[in-house]
Amino acid sequence: MKHQDGVALEVHQLKKVFRDRGACEVRAVDGISFRVAPGEVVGLLGPNGAGKTTTIKCILGLIRPTSGQVAIFGREVASHYPGILSQVSAVLEGSRNLYWRMTVWENIEFFTGIHGLPQREHRRYFEHLVERFGLADKRDVEVRRLSQGMKQKTAVVCALAELTPIVFLDEPTLGLDVETSYELRETLKDLAREEMRTVVLSSHNMDVVQDVCQRVIIMSAGRVVADDSIEHLMALFRTRAYRLVLRGPLPEGLQAALAAHFPGLEVQSTPYMTHMRLRLPGPDDIYVLMDLLRDAGARIEEISQEEPDLEKVFLEIVRKERVNQCNS
Amino acid sequence: MQLVSALVAITRRTFIMMGRYMFNTVSTLISIYMVFCLAFFGMKAFAAASPSRALDGTFEGTIVGFFTWALAVFGYSGLSWQLISEAQMGTLEQLYLSPIGFKWMCAFQVVVDFLTNVAVAVVFLFAMMATTGRWLNLDVASIAPLIIVTLLGAYGVGFALGGLALVFKRIQAFFQIVQFAFVGCLVIPWRIPWAKFLPLSMGNHLIYRVMAEGKRMWELPAADVLTALAVGAAYLAVGLAIFSASERAAKTRGLLGHY
Repeated sequence: MKHQDGVALEVHQLKKVFRDRGACEVRAVDGISFRVAPGEVVGLLGPNGAGKTTTIKCILGLIRPTSGQVAIFGREVASHYPGILSQVSAVLEGSRNLYWRMTVWENIEFFTGIHGLPQREHRRYFEHLVERFGLADKRDVEVRRLSQGMKQKTAVVCALAELTPIVFLDEPTLGLDVETSYELRETLKDLAREEMRTVVLSSHNMDVVQDVCQRVIIMSAGRVVADDSIEHLMALFRTRAYRLVLRGPLPEGLQAALAAHFPGLEVQSTPYMTHMRLRLPGPDDIYVLMDLLRDAGARIEEISQEEPDLEKVFLEIVRKERVNQCNS
Repeated sequence: MQLVSALVAITRRTFIMMGRYMFNTVSTLISIYMVFCLAFFGMKAFAAASPSRALDGTFEGTIVGFFTWALAVFGYSGLSWQLISEAQMGTLEQLYLSPIGFKWMCAFQVVVDFLTNVAVAVVFLFAMMATTGRWLNLDVASIAPLIIVTLLGAYGVGFALGGLALVFKRIQAFFQIVQFAFVGCLVIPWRIPWAKFLPLSMGNHLIYRVMAEGKRMWELPAADVLTALAVGAAYLAVGLAIFSASERAAKTRGLLGHY
């Protein structure tokens, strides 16, 4: 593998095949390649069994890949293991990641200690993190006595406290309620921006990925099916779909007139309000729409362009990939 | 510097956990002491009924044997239980992310555990001597190196079981067997030619000679000391090899984080 300068993480043709006696082999990761730049916040998305966690564990050396290479800041992981781990920290999915019988602060001290960080020198930063994640009044409480959200925050704090340039967060918001998940993602977003850390974030929560990440890698059946900036992916899937709310019932004849111009028209009408969704094929069709509405005497209450969200983009990409696989 | 930070962290965690699980620690010690009392008073009653005084000298052997056995069981089970409970608690993979390497982490854990176990076992030893009224020779300069040599084999077994636990997860049944096997290693007469190749056997005999017969380490036959050292080192090497192979298998099959 030829390493490139200015690359924090480079994965080249990574493959992991699990073989069990008597069972057929499972290709968890099927020859994936990608690069992550320093300071980039990348989302790793995929349905269950797509290979996200296996990919992260292969990168971290917790699972031995069948083939392929991983390099961190140009140094191959396999030949610099375990010293190279001073560059990475992680919150792993499905694990507690913490000692529940130890306090928040004791966990921070332990995990930074085994990462080789002298506590005295970094105490202020640890305190800053604890404060930032809203754990200041819980720092001397045993983790087992904390709520699920606080446990998860503590795990993230421990990973960040290790002060590594690359942080892997595998499902950091799993099992959290909406409010805690929102809080956590806001803090992550701020920290990623302030500290310029490289973050690889795997999540099922599209809002978290859309909000925190600049780029997304979508995996399906062990392969990378999309790797692009979120902005670009959204632009690709943006359509000229509009939603309109009209006051009162739909004027007579308007539905037929609209349907003739705009295929796929959806209408829900009550005596008080009419909701419509339609797609405008060309850029000038908005004028045609307005003319038709005015001529029919319709009164527009609300009009908005439908924005694609990452969830729809993700579902569309994965669906297409599955169709392609079936066809091939 | 990384190594020092890790050693400090592991030491602190050991003491914190010992405090948090104090009930478990104390109840383990009490149960071992009660087993000793049962063995000792049982033997005493048997000796009183025996006209030949055939059991004279066996009491010292029992104290030394229990002392060695307690250290061996604390040592091997501490290491393998640690690995099992880390896998259960979901922290094992985090330990594998330490840049000093997991083997160093284990080595530090073994050293910290060994020192704490010795402190506990010494208290236990005094309790046994006070109970029996038989005060043994405590020549630290002679006993300390012999304990280390003797326990190498026990730690070898600990590494082997710990490694197997990474792959097979539930191996608790082995623990009971090993505890009894260790008793066997200590009671089989060391003069039987093959017995000296068992873990603990020769080392325990040498500790007995120091503690019960008042010998100094340099007064012991060099061949016996070297045999104990070689046997201990061989068991440790085999244990480490099994651990490495199991770790490799666990990483290949993606089992490190499973329980």
